Amino acid sequence: MLQIEPHNLLVQKTLTERIFPDSESLKSIDRIITDFDFTTYHISTFPDEKNLVLISIYLKCYDDLAKYGVVEYLNGKYSKFNEFLTILSGNDIEQGYNYSLVLDTNKIESIDDESKNEVINELALLKRHAIAAPFEQAFTRYDELVQTYANSNTYAEEIQQELQNEKVLVIKYRGLDECIYIKPSFDRVTVIFSTVFQDETDKIFGKVFLQEFVDARKRSVQTAPQVLYSHKEAPLDITNYVQGKKDDENKGYITFVLFPRHLVKGDRRDNCISHIQYFRNYFHYHIKCSKAYMHSRMRFRVKEFLKILNRAKPENVDDEGKAIENRKTASGRRFEVGRV
Amino acid sequence: MASMGTPAVVMDNGTGLTKLGFAGNDSPSYVFPTAISTSTASKTGRGGSGGRSNNLSTKRGLEDLDFFIGDEAIHAATGPNYSLSYPIKHGQIEDWDHMERFWESSIFKYLRCEPEDHYFLLTEPPLNPPENRESTAEIMFESFNCAGLYIAVQAVLALAASWTSPKVQDRSLSGTVIDSGDGVTHVIPVAEGYVIGTAIKNIPLAGRDITLFIQQLLRDRGEPDTSLQTAERIKQQFCYVCPDIVQEFNKFDQYPQEKFAQYIVEYAERKAKVDVGYERFLAPEIFFNPEICSSDYLTPLPTVVDQVIKASPIDVRKKLYKNIVLSGGSTMFKDFGKRLQRDLKSIVNERIHLSEKLSGTQSTGVDVQVISHKKQRYAVWFGGSLLAQTSEFKSYCYTKSDYDEYGPSIVRNFSLFSVP
Repeated sequence: MLQIEPHNLLVQKTLTERIFPDSESLKSIDRIITDFDFTTYHISTFPDEKNLVLISIYLKCYDDLAKYGVVEYLNGKYSKFNEFLTILSGNDIEQGYNYSLVLDTNKIESIDDESKNEVINELALLKRHAIAAPFEQAFTRYDELVQTYANSNTYAEEIQQELQNEKVLVIKYRGLDECIYIKPSFDRVTVIFSTVFQDETDKIFGKVFLQEFVDARKRSVQTAPQVLYSHKEAPLDITNYVQGKKDDENKGYITFVLFPRHLVKGDRRDNCISHIQYFRNYFHYHIKCSKAYMHSRMRFRVKEFLKILNRAKPENVDDEGKAIENRKTASGRRFEVGRV
Repeated sequence: MASMGTPAVVMDNGTGLTKLGFAGNDSPSYVFPTAISTSTASKTGRGGSGGRSNNLSTKRGLEDLDFFIGDEAIHAATGPNYSLSYPIKHGQIEDWDHMERFWESSIFKYLRCEPEDHYFLLTEPPLNPPENRESTAEIMFESFNCAGLYIAVQAVLALAASWTSPKVQDRSLSGTVIDSGDGVTHVIPVAEGYVIGTAIKNIPLAGRDITLFIQQLLRDRGEPDTSLQTAERIKQQFCYVCPDIVQEFNKFDQYPQEKFAQYIVEYAERKAKVDVGYERFLAPEIFFNPEICSSDYLTPLPTVVDQVIKASPIDVRKKLYKNIVLSGGSTMFKDFGKRLQRDLKSIVNERIHLSEKLSGTQSTGVDVQVISHKKQRYAVWFGGSLLAQTSEFKSYCYTKSDYDEYGPSIVRNFSLFSVP
């Protein structure tokens, strides 16, 4: 079953071929790779130095991410490989892209295969890390809030008011109408996706799907984050932050409430970020799968109906109006009489 | 560059291999078998319990989500619970259910793109019925809501790919395409971007027949390893086309050191040496002398090409002779193009000579040129990538709103790429 992986398969493949080459001579590469939500990678070699691989990424929402410290976060992730990986900054960043790294394949030779694979994986996660930056920031804020309000009465009016005014992080990852809103609080972090469907059919599928999604949690997976779905009306937390069309019929809001158990530092927190940021892609993938399933059922039905229609064809009659003996097979074919 | 928008997706689904990638790249990002393995786990295993519950999830299993494509499919099919199928037969899509899921996975898992944001360029074989085009468009627009779609004929893309060769001076979409993959070899004449359907000829000899022929020779000699895989490797590494068989046999006798080769098969625990002999030049020879391998098909490739061009309208024949383009893996043998050009030239010259003798007038001559280039193996994909990165590409596509307005029949006609 398909699980949309947080790493980009193609980046991984390209770099693996590069770092573990089949032949001696290095070829130059220049390829464009895309990822979900208007993300483009460009992997290329320098014309004169083929051992240097330039990896650049373009993200549509980079301006938002920059506000939430994406550069520092990415630098933190990649600076540990600084022996062979140079992070470019300022004007060195490739024209038209947001973040560039240079990998020196000569220098990487010295480390063992396992660490090489680790580097490849980390680079394939470039997009995941970029989007993770605001999540990390919100989660850090959550940690602070936990500290601040550890001993206070959180039901008090003024504290409630303060929490109300907590800043919301907005990532406009697909333009104004489709955003991620993250709001930290002292006992939870709320993540809200706004979504718009271009297509009428998608809208219906999406609605059914989301309602099922909300139910599924109630029924069996109680440890999952709470999911709420609201149509057209933005949740109160973010009403002030919503831009774009406010009362669009096609717009919906999906709210995830992450509780402390999802925010345990370490692997679980990372996992949580990886999963939640690919929610929209996964969601759309499943809408498409449902449609494919419907189509396969339709084709099956049409085939069945055709069989029935074939059986219902009028019998052949001779001149006196008597039916000519004309047997049919189950699929409606006839044994042709008179022809051999 | 990136701000120009998302690159178009180029998908070339062939009978054997699928080539996937983005426009602007020089080689496909993925090349894997067009295979899908679907779950055969019985439906009773799941969903039988909980009859009272009213949830959809208990009413059916998740069989339709449980599948693999490409190399993973072939791997999964070796185990239980999965059955393998090839949705494309003879270049045409046979099983639409499987194809729809194949595309689903190639787009989301392998290419990682949201189809709503990308334009797509798909390929189709020559003489594809328009109904198949419509079904393709239905899937692409209704299931995937792709932003725009262009369906191109493979032969035309192969012609476009030949523009990279320095031999090509004028970039025209006229020429004869020899497309030889794993299953069949097609000879397709194209005039100004239109395929001349009546003149197309197929040759039932292609890559697989060459491999089987090599395997047969290895078996006859009693080599230690005669598996299909070994034969395949030998084909790829050692085979070439010779100018003349008799001379080549002599050369092998005179210089055995240079000509005979050895292929080492590596197993997990040991190594086996397989001698490679005359099959080096005999195997590709079956295109030029089919009688050495098959008893029912006896027309050599150059003769077929000549017949195809003679069957085409008279006003395009000169162009067809002048621009013979190779495409597909089985045309990759060294000197394949040279040999074809020489043989074809001699056929044509003989005919010209005869007509000069009979009519007594001087002919201006016919230029025969076979073009081979570096991108030959994935020529169709490369041609697609080349055309889809042009700025005009999007204007040739039909968009989702066009489709919604006119319905599937809109894809029956696509405007041709105007030649830059």
